[in-house]
Amino acid sequence: MMLARYRLEILALIAIIALCALLLRIGGAGFPGSDNTGSAQISRLTGIPEEGFHPLVWQWIPPGPEVESGLFALQAAIGGICVGWVFGYWKGLKEKG
Amino acid sequence: MHIMEGFLPAAWCIAWWLVALPCLALGVRELRRVLSSDRESLPLLGVTGGFVFILSSLKLPSVTGSSSHPTGTGLSAVSFGPWVTTVVGAIVLLFQALFLAHGGLSTLGANIVSMGVAGPLVGWGVYRALRDSPVGIYTTVFLAASFADLFTYLTTSLQLALAYPAQVGGAWSSFIIFLGIFAVTQVPLAILEAVILVLVFKYIVQLRPGILIRLKVFSEGRILAARSDG
Repeated sequence: MMLARYRLEILALIAIIALCALLLRIGGAGFPGSDNTGSAQISRLTGIPEEGFHPLVWQWIPPGPEVESGLFALQAAIGGICVGWVFGYWKGLKEKG
Repeated sequence: MHIMEGFLPAAWCIAWWLVALPCLALGVRELRRVLSSDRESLPLLGVTGGFVFILSSLKLPSVTGSSSHPTGTGLSAVSFGPWVTTVVGAIVLLFQALFLAHGGLSTLGANIVSMGVAGPLVGWGVYRALRDSPVGIYTTVFLAASFADLFTYLTTSLQLALAYPAQVGGAWSSFIIFLGIFAVTQVPLAILEAVILVLVFKYIVQLRPGILIRLKVFSEGRILAARSDG
């Protein structure tokens, strides 16, 4: 009964654990971003080194990986605040009846 | 799936912007219609849009030894259709182009087409095909979300293949190479993302089934049946 009620939660947990287990087996790959791997592939196909590609439109680049990861965290936080706020609002509405 | 600034020839940048702009216009119109017709759709937009922000900020490692982002667009596509999702995707991609140097302004059109148009359109198509079928509503949302994610990366691969055909084998051969980089990496992430979005959908069904019924996401009977199922 309990299991049936939470079957989606259990499935989600299994999926997360399975992915972690899979990744532990691969280990040591370094996991570079596929965007960068894609750029490297373009460089290979064209024979132009990656430094040979210049922005068509000026672009601000975060000064360092710390700032970049901080801004990524900010993006997730904005989403998290939205989601948390709405679920709280809905829960409140439900309890009020 | 971000095509980096400078890595797409100008002609292709313009071409993909020309595809993206009418979709965005359609999305803005659709968004105004939905929001003005039902006040409760705004919080739902907050949740579905919020998950696009959260999931696309996560760079997750995958089986190919590289990392990639989920897209989070499936739930929005199921709830509001593909065009509203185009607007949500465009906002996230603009944020990433301006502040994270993930994709740029010239390649934004191409990135909007992959993450905001093609992925959501395919996800929505899967959902529409299964909506009134015997397939369960959670399974339907799962399939829609994973297809939306996967087709985003398929589209990126196609965009890069068209711009950079291989000397031997042409665009098709490039397509296979880029698929190897993007799509294969994406498969486990698409599954994981879809499982999470199904869970979110379940909580919406439990807390606020009314809005899903009014938006006709699924028929009233199916949503209420899923709700009493727990």
